[in-house]
Amino acid sequence: MFLMALCTPKRAPFTSLFGGRQGVSQTLRVMKLIAIIMLSAGLAASARGHTQSVTYTGKAVNIETVFAAIKTQTGYSFFYNLADIQLAGPVTVHIQNESLEKALQLTLENQPLSYSIEGKTVFISKKIVKQNEPFTMDHQKPLRDIKGKVVNENGEPVSGVTVTIKGTNQATSTNSNGEFNLSNIDNNATLVFTGTNVETFVINVAGRSDLEIKLKTKVTSLNEVIVNKGYYTEQQKTSTSNVFSVKAKDIEQQPVNNPLLALQGRVPSLIVTQASGFAGSGVRVQVQGQTSISGMGTDPLYVVDGVPYPSRSLYTLNGIQGSSGLSPDVAGLPVGGGSPFSFINPADIESIDILKDADATAIYGSRAANGAILITTKKGKAGKTKVSFNLQTGTGKIGHFLDVLNRKQYLEMRNEAFKNDGRIPSSNPAATAPFSFAPDLTIWDTSHSTDWQKVLIGGTAHYTDFQTNVSGGTTNTQFLVGSGYHKETTVFPGGLADQKASLHFNINNVTPSQKFRLQFSGSYMADNNQLIQTDLTSLAVSLSPIAPAIYDADGSLNWAPLTNGNSGWINPLAYLYNEYRNNTNNLIGNLVTSYQVLKGLEIKSSFGYNSLQSEQFVINPSKAIRPERRAAFDRWSDFSNSYSNSWIIEPGAEYKFSLNSLKVNTLVGATFLNNSNNIKIQNGSGYSSDLNIKDISSAPFQAAQIYSSQYKYNALFGRVSGNWDDKYIINLTARRDGSSRFGADNLFHNFGSIAGAWVFSKESFISNKISFLSFGKLRASYGTTGSDQIGDYRFLNLYNPTFADVDYQGATGLVSNGLPNPHLQWEETKKLQFGLDLGFLTDRFLLTVNYYQNRCSNQLLGYQLPIATGFSSITRNFPATIQNFGWEFSLITSNFKSERLSWSSSFNFTLPKNKLLSFPGIETSSYSTLYTVGQPVTISKMFHFAGVDPATGRYVFRAANGSITSTPSFATDLTVVKDRSPRFYGGFQNTISYKSFQLDLLFQFAKQSGGIPYGLLGDRPGQFLTDGTGNQPINVVNRWIKPGDMTSVQRFYTVSNSNLSGPANSANASDINFTDASYIRMKNVSLSWQAPEKWKRKLSMQDAKIYVQGQNILTITKYRGLDPETMSSRSLPPLRVITVGVQIGL
Amino acid sequence: MNTRTFNIIRLNGKWLLPILLISLISTNGCKKFITVDAPINSTNVGNVFTDNAIAASVLTGIYTNLSNGNSGGGFGGDFTGLSLIAGMSADEITLNDLNNQAYFLYYSNSLLGNSGNIGIANYWTLTYPYIFTVNSAIEGLTNSVSLTPTVKNQLLGEAKFMRAFFYFYLVNLYGDVPLCLSSDWKINAALSRTPASQVYLQIISDLKDAQKLLSSDYLDADALTKSTARVRPSKWVATALLARVYLYTNNDFANAETEATKIIDNPFFQLVPLNSVFLKNSAEAIWQLQATGTGPNSNTGEGKLFILPAGGPNSGQPVYLSNYVVNSFEAGDQRKTNWTASVTVGATTYNYPNKYKIGAVNTTAQEYCIVFRLAEPYLIRAEARAQQNNISGAQADLNAIRTRAALPNTTANDKPSLLTAIMQERKVELFTEWGHRWFDLKRTNTIDAVMETVTPTKNGTWQTTDKLYPIPQSELDKSKQLLQNEGY
Repeated sequence: MFLMALCTPKRAPFTSLFGGRQGVSQTLRVMKLIAIIMLSAGLAASARGHTQSVTYTGKAVNIETVFAAIKTQTGYSFFYNLADIQLAGPVTVHIQNESLEKALQLTLENQPLSYSIEGKTVFISKKIVKQNEPFTMDHQKPLRDIKGKVVNENGEPVSGVTVTIKGTNQATSTNSNGEFNLSNIDNNATLVFTGTNVETFVINVAGRSDLEIKLKTKVTSLNEVIVNKGYYTEQQKTSTSNVFSVKAKDIEQQPVNNPLLALQGRVPSLIVTQASGFAGSGVRVQVQGQTSISGMGTDPLYVVDGVPYPSRSLYTLNGIQGSSGLSPDVAGLPVGGGSPFSFINPADIESIDILKDADATAIYGSRAANGAILITTKKGKAGKTKVSFNLQTGTGKIGHFLDVLNRKQYLEMRNEAFKNDGRIPSSNPAATAPFSFAPDLTIWDTSHSTDWQKVLIGGTAHYTDFQTNVSGGTTNTQFLVGSGYHKETTVFPGGLADQKASLHFNINNVTPSQKFRLQFSGSYMADNNQLIQTDLTSLAVSLSPIAPAIYDADGSLNWAPLTNGNSGWINPLAYLYNEYRNNTNNLIGNLVTSYQVLKGLEIKSSFGYNSLQSEQFVINPSKAIRPERRAAFDRWSDFSNSYSNSWIIEPGAEYKFSLNSLKVNTLVGATFLNNSNNIKIQNGSGYSSDLNIKDISSAPFQAAQIYSSQYKYNALFGRVSGNWDDKYIINLTARRDGSSRFGADNLFHNFGSIAGAWVFSKESFISNKISFLSFGKLRASYGTTGSDQIGDYRFLNLYNPTFADVDYQGATGLVSNGLPNPHLQWEETKKLQFGLDLGFLTDRFLLTVNYYQNRCSNQLLGYQLPIATGFSSITRNFPATIQNFGWEFSLITSNFKSERLSWSSSFNFTLPKNKLLSFPGIETSSYSTLYTVGQPVTISKMFHFAGVDPATGRYVFRAANGSITSTPSFATDLTVVKDRSPRFYGGFQNTISYKSFQLDLLFQFAKQSGGIPYGLLGDRPGQFLTDGTGNQPINVVNRWIKPGDMTSVQRFYTVSNSNLSGPANSANASDINFTDASYIRMKNVSLSWQAPEKWKRKLSMQDAKIYVQGQNILTITKYRGLDPETMSSRSLPPLRVITVGVQIGL
Repeated sequence: MNTRTFNIIRLNGKWLLPILLISLISTNGCKKFITVDAPINSTNVGNVFTDNAIAASVLTGIYTNLSNGNSGGGFGGDFTGLSLIAGMSADEITLNDLNNQAYFLYYSNSLLGNSGNIGIANYWTLTYPYIFTVNSAIEGLTNSVSLTPTVKNQLLGEAKFMRAFFYFYLVNLYGDVPLCLSSDWKINAALSRTPASQVYLQIISDLKDAQKLLSSDYLDADALTKSTARVRPSKWVATALLARVYLYTNNDFANAETEATKIIDNPFFQLVPLNSVFLKNSAEAIWQLQATGTGPNSNTGEGKLFILPAGGPNSGQPVYLSNYVVNSFEAGDQRKTNWTASVTVGATTYNYPNKYKIGAVNTTAQEYCIVFRLAEPYLIRAEARAQQNNISGAQADLNAIRTRAALPNTTANDKPSLLTAIMQERKVELFTEWGHRWFDLKRTNTIDAVMETVTPTKNGTWQTTDKLYPIPQSELDKSKQLLQNEGY
């Protein structure tokens, strides 16, 4: 394209942003857009009052600057091709009162440019040189054409590798088949191969004309990593922020059904907790500590391919999958269990970027106060069409069972309890003192025993996962189509299973001019999760070991009827009849288009859509009920339909330019987001049979409830980034956000950040002195981010209808929805972070240290209120400031590397601290008894356990006044303060490859304390409950038997009495139950073997790999519950999963 | 295009992005874009008290939730209702399975302060949201100018009555309680406990207002048209509670007599045969809660809870009638025949309250839960008259109740013996109804004497402080000025 370089006025009315007169030429580039418009409008430049002589002196200036000066002095316009001008290097000229022609000659001396003058216009064009004869070549030397092919160690062609002839400007790059051609080069030329993913390689042509070059794939070094920051990407090397990326390679080698679980143990300052071991179970994520008192509204912002994604499921009819967070009503609607990330196929993910500091998150302004997690799906790559299949199958089991009493110990406990109480066991359900009803001791077969953990949760979950992927394309168009199927069953009896089918596609196109780009991605998943409504784990650890057989002789469920006809227990398999089904469909679509208006200036627009739809039912048939209660039991079932639809439009523009060593990148954009949620719940009851209970239309009685809400959000953002020679980097980010969740006065808020980095290893005074230091960077950032994680409409005073099967007097009632707060404001978190990145011995060792200090104030949350106000909380801005600060360390090392064997490790470690910094008015607030300024917000107050009174066998506690009592007061005696947050945590990964084998091992560790409900003291040991439970953890054998015994468990009792049940309740609220929950867990193991080249070639495969993978393989802990991660002894722990698989690429 | 225009464009070109950025940020963005309407399933408060039907719905919402025992809003008859819980705390009900920890704490009078152990029947946290609603309604109705005056008065009367009703139960269960009279959370959050005597003054004041405001007819959901159902508070409901309050406050027997007389003299209310008392639209009913369930829940929670199946108590029907009640009936008392029943399992006989005859059966609604009925004003007036030494008057009222139960006239003929006889009569007339027995024991200061014998038979130890339930610890945690009842 030819452009008119328009005149620069004599006196520039302003100077460039980036430095004096030199900026003028840069301004010209900015002007190019305008120039196009101006061209059509006619050339209006004035040329009055100019002379023909030129005077100009400049040293190493841009040639356009000289032209501009000549133009100013002579009035002659310049006309040239941009590409030609760029061939010119900086010029040094001294023109003293010369003619125009002479001035031009001097300027163009030694430049590959020539000029001609026509009228008042100077035309600049490329100097005509002979084709294919670079002017530096010696014509006498023999020349030849060569061709070649570049492959990687697996023999796969590598495209996009730049092949340069050393010492010349001549270069080419490999095509999609890895091939390249060079003409007329010296027989003795040296070729240099460089590429982003391969190690640089140098070879002498040595007279050959056909080369096959094998390049080594680069061991991913931190410094080469490209990080995605949502609206822009940047190189880790020059990044000013605290961002951590987890790539597909690490995700793929973990047999997880939720991509968030692949982050466990890998990222500093990121705690990912799985709520339970069910498919689709809740996953809680916390970045850099707990930012609110209640732990509510602390979810990070999730963005999948540019589309904001919910952190919690919309609504579920049953909570068995556990929660993904604490806040009950972030969407303003009932929130469900499970994790919405179960509906994203981990195999479709290219990378997950965790943005932590203000520099990284301020671009998201609001909602990123708790960090942001960006998920990018796989994109097609240019090259020959690649087809890959990946099949894995395996099993999941509970890794650790709770040690409970065996038959003998159980009987001993029960008999001792009877003896203690002076009672005699009786088979009569109506027995009165001195008899006491005890079917287990009098009716059941005390010689047989059942390991209920084995029966109910000891099964094997089967995993099957099949992924196919086709990708390829040309340099202009690339595509990727993937599909996946995943099935996993449970460890429960009864054939429950979760099945997912998914599709993912991506298409990229760029016009031949490289100006218009299009990127379209979509993912769809259909999930059918069959669950039940009760976690059998609790029963498994508490059912009496001598409880009856599950089945009668005729194969039906055994209810062990008593003399009065009532059931002797609740048969645990009856819970399987209480089905819970969750069918969820998830669609994510994203279209990004961009147009390069001018070199450096690109306008961009992103359109995103996400639709999560869930259809569920729970059924409660008669057969799940004890037979004697069926007559009075009303069958019922609930059905729900939930929809969450979001669309987002983000127009923007990006402008990049360089000025000598300064690279400037500016970005502006806007966000328009609309999210609507609808929930419809239908209840049916009075069914005539268990058979039609899944059909609402068969229900004689039906009732319905609906919820709906809408959320809108609008933002404007901008960013300016300056990079001087990759040495000094400064970034400024600003954003103005508006959210529909606030009242009219506080809709908008501004956020911003400033960040800088200094790559000191580029300073000669460092690089010359410290030779082992290959990279060194200091970073700092400060800024604000916000949050609107509250329910919708909280500023409105709303009434909702009451819910009744039969309306009272035929009318629907209304009830207040909550305390409205028209004064809601944006939450603000101030983040200050410092970082140090060091690379040693050519980046063989990469160390990153971060210090963070985040202060969260004006927090939005449900402020706890006494119920006398009508509600237990009001959504308001919390007056306290909470500070999270800590150190993050990450060390990536390449320990050993040879032709056959290589070993690399990565280690991360986080040392967090949390503190309630200030809380004006805490004394009069609802929080006065719970928190103390200066202490963490993760504290719990409890009784101080003082053992068992040797005389009476009752638990005793140390009261606040120092006395020992069995009846401490909850008002005054909660004297022990314990912190629930971890002291430190981290992960340690090793990758060892030997020949075709590769072994990856990830260890996760945490130093922490936590509660162990019923795990130590049991739940009223000695008692038997009518559902058949009464077994206790093994620890209760340390009980008090006779006066004088010094023990930790109080005397057994079988009949409730307040003298013993009161202390038992207090003991569960004491520090005895708060134990060390530290652990080291072998989180992931992956061993793979790549078939030899020969075999692959024979079978025409690009890739043939078999592997074994395992998750949660081994846990070392002193914790006595089922799992130190979920800290529970009554819910299904995360499973130990082992799979084998095969991966084939064609 | 002239040079000037060009310069401006140039200027913009140079500063294009920064200027765009700054100007965007300094404007108020797209305010319109982020405006949302109220959700379709909600009504904005601005519209609630402007329309007769919608304003009435707020009060209807309270009755719906009070009746909706199965969804947790219940107060009367279900698993968490006063008839069961206060009955267990007193000597009326026996818990079958002592290992049923949640009930055991109430049964054995061994509640603890921590909220985890009183969750089963948390009247404190159950009641105050209702009080918030009535306070909001009183404010909204008072300020409303667009409602029909008769509707406005009726609804205001209902709201004031309900406020008195809820505070009555709060003071009797917990003693001193925070007295919230507005919907302003800032005021209410800072309240400490108001002495019960002062709360009673407010109750009386509200009830007097309610008497003036409420219709003397029972009305429909529109608070305007007459209804045959007695499910919406009327002037008589307020009067019945006022009579009770005067009796409870022990200083105004003349007023108690006056208020009770107003009801007894109204021919609209009649003592009916024992088996008809608890029917829907019973002539004895002063206030009933309409059943709102279907299937097995289509009648009352009491019936569903108390009526034992052939197999005896179980986890769904966990209690039976205590021998203290069963053995209190005089020979020939038809109430024992008609209002109790039993099942025999093996050698054991379980008695159960049978006032409500329909249990968990899928049938049409025939019985409604009675909150106030005519027998109580008779007993109130008998007691008030006895206290005022009107022996014959007291005898006449007592005998009205005894006659219906086919018992001979009372032999008590002086104040002390009459008061004893009236307490005995209340025990066998009002058993397992809304905690009457528990409250009677407390207001007559006989609770320690009675429970010191009874509690040990319930595997507990009686302490005098057990007569008040503890305030949930979580509430104390949230409000420093709230102090726990003694003994917790």
